[in-house]
Amino acid sequence: MSIFFLLLQQELLLTAIIFVLLFVKLSTKQWNSQTVLSFVNILLVVNLAAGFFFKEKGTLFGDMFQTNDLLRFEKNILNLGTLLISLQAYNWLLKHKHAIEFYLLMLSTLLGMFFMLSSSNLLMFYVGLELASIPLAALANFDLDKKRSSEAAMKYIMSSAFASGLLLFGISLIYGMVGSVNFTDIAVAASENPLFLFGFILLIAGFGFKISAVPFHLWTADVYEGAPVAVTSYLSVISKGSMLFVMTSVLSTVFANLLFQWYNIVAVLAVLSMIVGNLFAIRQQNIKRFLAFSSISQVGFILIGMSGANIESHSSVVYFVLVYLFSNLAAFAVINVISEASGKENIDDYKGLYKTNPALTWVLAIALFSLAGIPPTAGFFGKFFLLLGGASKGNYLLIIVAALNMVISLYYYLRIIKAMFMDANETPVEKLAISWSPKISMAVCMAGIVVTGIISGAYEYIYSLLK
Amino acid sequence: MGAASLIVLILAAIAFSAGAILIAKVVTKATKNKQKAEPYESGIPTRGPSWVQFNVGYYLFALLFLIFDVELIFLYPWAVAAKKVGLLALVEIIIFFFILFMGFLYAHKKGALKWK
Amino acid sequence: MPITYYIFLAVALFSIGVAGVLTRRNAIIIFMCVELMLNAVNLLLVAFSKMHAQNAIAIDPAAVAGVEAQLFVFFIMVVAAAEVSVGLAIIVMMYRNIHSVDVNFLNRLKH
Repeated sequence: MSIFFLLLQQELLLTAIIFVLLFVKLSTKQWNSQTVLSFVNILLVVNLAAGFFFKEKGTLFGDMFQTNDLLRFEKNILNLGTLLISLQAYNWLLKHKHAIEFYLLMLSTLLGMFFMLSSSNLLMFYVGLELASIPLAALANFDLDKKRSSEAAMKYIMSSAFASGLLLFGISLIYGMVGSVNFTDIAVAASENPLFLFGFILLIAGFGFKISAVPFHLWTADVYEGAPVAVTSYLSVISKGSMLFVMTSVLSTVFANLLFQWYNIVAVLAVLSMIVGNLFAIRQQNIKRFLAFSSISQVGFILIGMSGANIESHSSVVYFVLVYLFSNLAAFAVINVISEASGKENIDDYKGLYKTNPALTWVLAIALFSLAGIPPTAGFFGKFFLLLGGASKGNYLLIIVAALNMVISLYYYLRIIKAMFMDANETPVEKLAISWSPKISMAVCMAGIVVTGIISGAYEYIYSLLK
Repeated sequence: MGAASLIVLILAAIAFSAGAILIAKVVTKATKNKQKAEPYESGIPTRGPSWVQFNVGYYLFALLFLIFDVELIFLYPWAVAAKKVGLLALVEIIIFFFILFMGFLYAHKKGALKWK
Repeated sequence: MPITYYIFLAVALFSIGVAGVLTRRNAIIIFMCVELMLNAVNLLLVAFSKMHAQNAIAIDPAAVAGVEAQLFVFFIMVVAAAEVSVGLAIIVMMYRNIHSVDVNFLNRLKH
């Protein structure tokens, strides 16, 4: 019995937090929102810390649920990201009527992602996926009085429902050909049967929607722009990161027999994502839309790493998601502070930011350097390992395309940095006083960008988990 | 055979669907009226704004009913297996209903069950 | 009945659903089409479950097979209900804001 609790530790703790918050909400006492928010953040810190203390691995529920060191580490990454987003959202939630509901929904999606990561069965995978995506639509609608927020939620729920329809049709065809929804049975029975392949392609399409790879990316920019900043960062880092973890392990273990088939699909998705993401990012004026397209092109790079299909490439994907989490969340922290204080979200508004807010400017600049992959930052090493992983297949054309795209992306990331440092602006963002919670979040992100880049232990640790 | 027939099939499929759309575009008279944007295209046209007459209570009740009604579907497979699983099944269904009940309490606290 | 008929029916239903989602502009009808897609999946899962059960019984009369697909159908139904209720709640929010359920009014976010 005790092994049950040890294996499910991360999920059970999260469930307990959700129920504690529900009780707080249901209690007759009217809690001070500052108390509640500090309480939630403390709970999230405990949740993150507790994840590092357990090492048990095994399966539960008749092989439906599995956990091991790598999965625990991936869940810890997601916990860390959620904590950082929660810190960034502090000031926004302080003024919001429904702060507890925000956490209820966000932690429910996180729980869904945990079950999705730990699934060794298509049924568990599907339930986890839906738990991870339905509350996100409600979250996107969280600026209740804003029109564009409900538009974003509408687009998200529609595209996610459509995507899960495609995914389910794929699952049903795979079930029909295999006679089981267990990953181990599917791995054995995976074959070039046309119906099985059709189901498999539909499954990849479902994955593609969630990670917003081109050509399944059409919802991304609109939802990112319309949703509140905290939700946008959650969508672009946690939701996407968890799906990338799952996709990498499912493709390389369950569908290892079909490597030849999915290698080509993933390579095409990667090239399209990089090119389209980059070309659209160049002409964006809104910084949230800009980061949406930048994240699409980052997914292209991650897909290149994924296509390697060996231990090195798998660990490079996990490592890059960790680096991407720090870089993207640092950028979103700055955007959140500025958008919260002045409501400005256009790139032109960031002109001359250095004159008024040098600290914020440096944070955003380092984050963008890391996203662009400039050497001293972690982003460079992340991309380097990804390309190395992808190159192990010997498809150097793919690597050349990726390198060219890195140059293009450098142009538009530097455009923002130039705007902040050099361009003059008559009405710049005034000098902002930053409160403690975004400060902690930014400090952790900056430390993460520097530490995971300079100390090679991070990649080697992930590699050792996979062996 | 093989690849060639597949390509022919794909081309034929594209030509067929594109042709159908094009012919429909050319032949039909495109009507753009307000009815197209209504929730139900058939039936009597609504008079005046229908929203104001609509009690928001209906929709809240409907959504709550939908969720709680459909959740009970899980009782069927549970009932089939309950005897074989034994006491653990009872514990599990109590946890399940506890979670549902929390949702119900939340709705109650929010005042969603009050008829306005 | 051979399984191919069920596959054809399910593919047809699914395609109608996909076509509806892609061409219709009314949010409620889009959700109806998504339901059609999910029901095609349910039909296919139940048909495959029956097929696998028959195959297993032909080898060993006491065999139990295909249960997981039927459970899967239950989960799909519940999740679809949850999806639709969140979707409908968002439609109501949207209607309050822009007084229409036509998704073409949502074009403001394009480009």
